[in-house]
Formats: sequence, C-alpha cells, structure tokens
Amino acid sequence: MAIILVVEDDALIRMVAEMMIQDWGHETLSASDEDEALAILRSSQRIDALFTDIYLKASVLGGCNLASQAIALRPQLRVLYTTGNSPTEKMTALFVAGAHCLGKPYTQQQLQDSVAEMLAT
Amino acid sequence: MADSEIAAGDIVETVPSALIILDQNLIIKSANRAFYQTFRTSPQETEGSLIYNLGNRQWDIPALRNLLESVIPHRASVEGFEVEHDFPTIGRRTMLVNARKILRGGDHDGYILLAIEDVSEERAARAESRRNWQLTQSIVDTIRDPLVVLEGDMTIVTASKAFLKMFGITEAETRGRRVAELGQHQWDVPALRHLMEKVLPENKPIESFEIEDNFPGLGLRVFNLNARKISQPGNHAHRMLLVFEDITDRKQRERDALVLTNEISHRIKNNLQIVVGLIAYEAKFTEASCVQGYKAMQARIGAIAQLYDLISQSSLGRTVAVDAYLREIAKVMSASLIGDASGIKIEVNAEALEIDPDHAVPFGLLVNELATNAIKHAFPHGDGHITLSAEQIGDEIELVVADDGIGIQEKVVTRIAQKRGSDYVAIFVRQLGGTILPAPPDERGTIVRIRLPLLLVSSGGATPLAA
Repeated sequence: MAIILVVEDDALIRMVAEMMIQDWGHETLSASDEDEALAILRSSQRIDALFTDIYLKASVLGGCNLASQAIALRPQLRVLYTTGNSPTEKMTALFVAGAHCLGKPYTQQQLQDSVAEMLAT
Repeated sequence: MADSEIAAGDIVETVPSALIILDQNLIIKSANRAFYQTFRTSPQETEGSLIYNLGNRQWDIPALRNLLESVIPHRASVEGFEVEHDFPTIGRRTMLVNARKILRGGDHDGYILLAIEDVSEERAARAESRRNWQLTQSIVDTIRDPLVVLEGDMTIVTASKAFLKMFGITEAETRGRRVAELGQHQWDVPALRHLMEKVLPENKPIESFEIEDNFPGLGLRVFNLNARKISQPGNHAHRMLLVFEDITDRKQRERDALVLTNEISHRIKNNLQIVVGLIAYEAKFTEASCVQGYKAMQARIGAIAQLYDLISQSSLGRTVAVDAYLREIAKVMSASLIGDASGIKIEVNAEALEIDPDHAVPFGLLVNELATNAIKHAFPHGDGHITLSAEQIGDEIELVVADDGIGIQEKVVTRIAQKRGSDYVAIFVRQLGGTILPAPPDERGTIVRIRLPLLLVSSGGATPLAA
C-alpha cells in the first residue's frame, strides 16, 4: 500500500482518480495546484508517489515544474504524469528521470497498470 | 634607312594600338596599319597632313590640342590621356592616348609618337555595367523584404534600403563587412555559416533558415533566411543574394494557434476523462455481468480520444494520411497490450493514401474495433500477429485486418460479446458506405476485408497530415 499525492485542477477528475486509486488499497492526498502540492510535499507527511496533471490551471507545464521541485525536496519520490495533450519533446525533456506518463482519458485499468508500474520501479 | 629603323617599323606595324608619328609642327610623318584600320583612313590622306586637318578636321579636338600644344612641350611623355570625340566617320569614340617625345642625335626638335588605344567598347561596357548596377540597386530597394548581396568572400556588396532601415545601419557600415559581423553578431550562427559557404561553390540555395533573436531596436524577432547564387552573363564572378523575411507575426499566430489547440485538447480530454471516470464509478455498483459492457464503453471513448489528436488537425482542412494514421492506431493499441496480451504484435502494411478528414473518425473506430476483436478473441495463448493493411483498388480503399490466430470458427468467447463487436463493425462500414467482402475459405486466422469507396482524396490537392 502506498501513499499517492494526486494533483489535478479539475475537482471531478481528481475525485474520480482518487477513488480509482483508493480502490486498490492505496491512500491518496490531493491538491489542485502547484502551491497546494508543494505545501504538502514540504510537510513531514509520508508520500510515496506523485500523480500530477501536466496542465495545471494557467500553467501549461505546471505539472512538470511541480515534479522537478518535488524531486528536489524528496529525491526518492516516484512520479506519474498525465496529460490530455500529445506529449511534445519540450514536455518530455522536462520529465524527471524514470517518470511515466499516462494519456487522458485513462480507464481504471490503465491507471492501475501505470500506478503499479510506477511503484514497481 | 638604318637596320634599327626597319626593325622598329616592323614592330610599329604589328602592335595592335594605333600609332602615329608627328614632327615638331604636328605634321604626320607616318602611321601604322592599326591606325588606318581603326580610323578608316589611308597613308595618302594621312602622311604630310597637319594632324588637326586629318579627315575634314575631325581630329581638331580641343583636348588633343591641349595635349599636343600645352602638355607635350613640357614633358617627355604623357600616359593615359583620355580623349572622347564624335568622329564623323566612325562615330563617338573614347581614346586613350599615350604620347612620347622621340629625340634623335643632332635633332633637337625630334618627333612625337602618339599611341592611340580605342577604349570605347570598354568604356561602354563599364557604363552599361554601371547602369545595370543602378537598375539592380533600384530593384533591390523596391523589394520590401530586407536583402543583401554578398561577394564570394561573404562580404556585403550592397544592402537594400529595407535592410538598412530595419537594422538601423548605414550603407557605409555594411559595405565590405560580413553578415556575421553585423549588429550584435546575431547572424553569426555556425549552421548558417555552413549553409552560406555552400551556396556559391555548390550552387545550393538556402531555403527558410530560421533565426530567432533579440535585435537591437526591434526586440524579439524571427527571420526566415533565403539565399541563392546570382550570376551575370559573361561574368565569372558570382554573388549571393540573401533575403531576410520577417516572420515574427506569422510565428506568433502559429504559436497562438498551438496554444489554443492545446487548450481545446486539454478541455476535451478532461471532459472525456470525466465521462470515463463516471462510467468507472457506475461500474462499481453494477452487477458483474454488466461490467464488461462498461469497460468496452470506456475503451471506445479511449479510442476516440486517442484518435483525437490526429483528427483535430482536420479542422485545418487537410487530408489524413492513411498509412501514418494506421501506424498511429497500431502504436496506441500496442502500448495498451499488457499482461496476457503482451505477446501480440500489431503491424501495418499500407500504401500512401489520403482520406477525407470527415471520414477519419469512423475509419479509425472501424480499425480499432476489428483490431480489438482480434486481440480479444484470436489469441488464447497471448501471442500472435495482427496486420492492418490498406491499398487502393480502383477508386476504392481496401482495408484488411488480418490475424494469425485461432480463426473465427474456433472462438471460445461468448457469442454476445462477439456479436456486439461485429455490430459496431457493421455500423462503421455502413457509415463509410463500404462493404464487407466474404472471408476466403481455409485461411489461417481471421481476415476481414472491407471495401471503402468515396474515401480517397487525390494526392496533391490538400496537404496530408503527418501522424
């Protein structure tokens, strides 16, 4: 069982994603933007993985910036990105090492597989 | 005559310049053949005549009088004295006159040797060249895009007014300098230098080399550089024309469109994510027997979303390249093959055909449905091959989705699930106005052949989408 921080600006998508992840026995923490997520990351809360949307509110590559800062704070953190856009070279160049990316819309099965893959690495 | 005079006479006769010898009174003592030919006269008309009286006084030229009466008496020789005159017999001529006083022993007055070179053609060519240059310059100045003309050594010969204005420099500041030295060395880019060095020796033009930089007084600009060799007939020296097209605004529009596309894509995908999520939520409280149907629904929404990025570009009025489209579908489906299905390989064998973007969605969903059926039912052992093919037959496209699995007779799947999948195939084929061809007997695996008319777009009409 892992503790996963879910960062997604759309409340409904975030809720469904958390529900899907909790179904497999994991715990979730949630944030709607970079600042909220960083506040949690800076706390002493145990976090095993970060699952973040790349496009966060006004910031087109907000999730990429967030993950880089998150890794600086917690080098052991695993990262799974999600995006509705086709990943561009500019985008993937910003990915933290060893990170995975899941395209939207993802099914429960796809999210489960990606989370399992992320946690296994 | 002494031997030396004979020898001198031979030399005088053979030199190409027109020569005449005058005595101290400017009486012509003799002239050579070149003189007679050039000025269309004869020894009889010439010898013994005062030079000014020659040929109806056509040699009575103020400039020549000045040379002979004012300059020669005080100097031993004069070189490169230019005389321009309208001769009644031979027309307007420019002559270069070299004069030398010849003094012989005991003869204090001596003679004057005049060597007259007709430089009219050379002067006319120079004037013509100057006129051409002025014409070129005026053309250069009327072109709105800034441009420069470079010598073979990459130094600037001329810069257009638009160039000087745009970069806020004077003509004097550009002439003789290299492009790389201008401004704040924005053009000093190794890749550009490399391309420019090939323009003249290899006659290889530069097409649309893009440079984005901060230019003093201009701010951030994007320029498209085009260069080609320019040659003048009869002139071996080649020059290079380098044109700077300011594409800043166009680039900005493209970027704005991309931002908008990304924004729309983000919203659509988020909405589809909500739908898929809600279906997942519903499935939690649904009887197990119905869950498969919910999952299939999620998969189809996923298929539409995955094709969306390709299809969304159809709003630009372009066609969709079938081969690239099938490869993209294969790539997406292959990426989803995990667990038991991870031994299945999806291959594409398609001709370069283009289809109308309006048909891309049902076409993509049809391929998705057939390939999904194969993945689900053809390989109980989890490995095998699926081939997606498309070829043009007449004015139709034949789509073939083939697998080397267990074949349709031996399927162990439930009839209902299979039937639904086939229903969708029938719906999409009907939507596309196509027909399903009967499967050939005794084939290993399952082969579905579908003829689709009216899908093809003739190539060359629209720009195909790169998938």
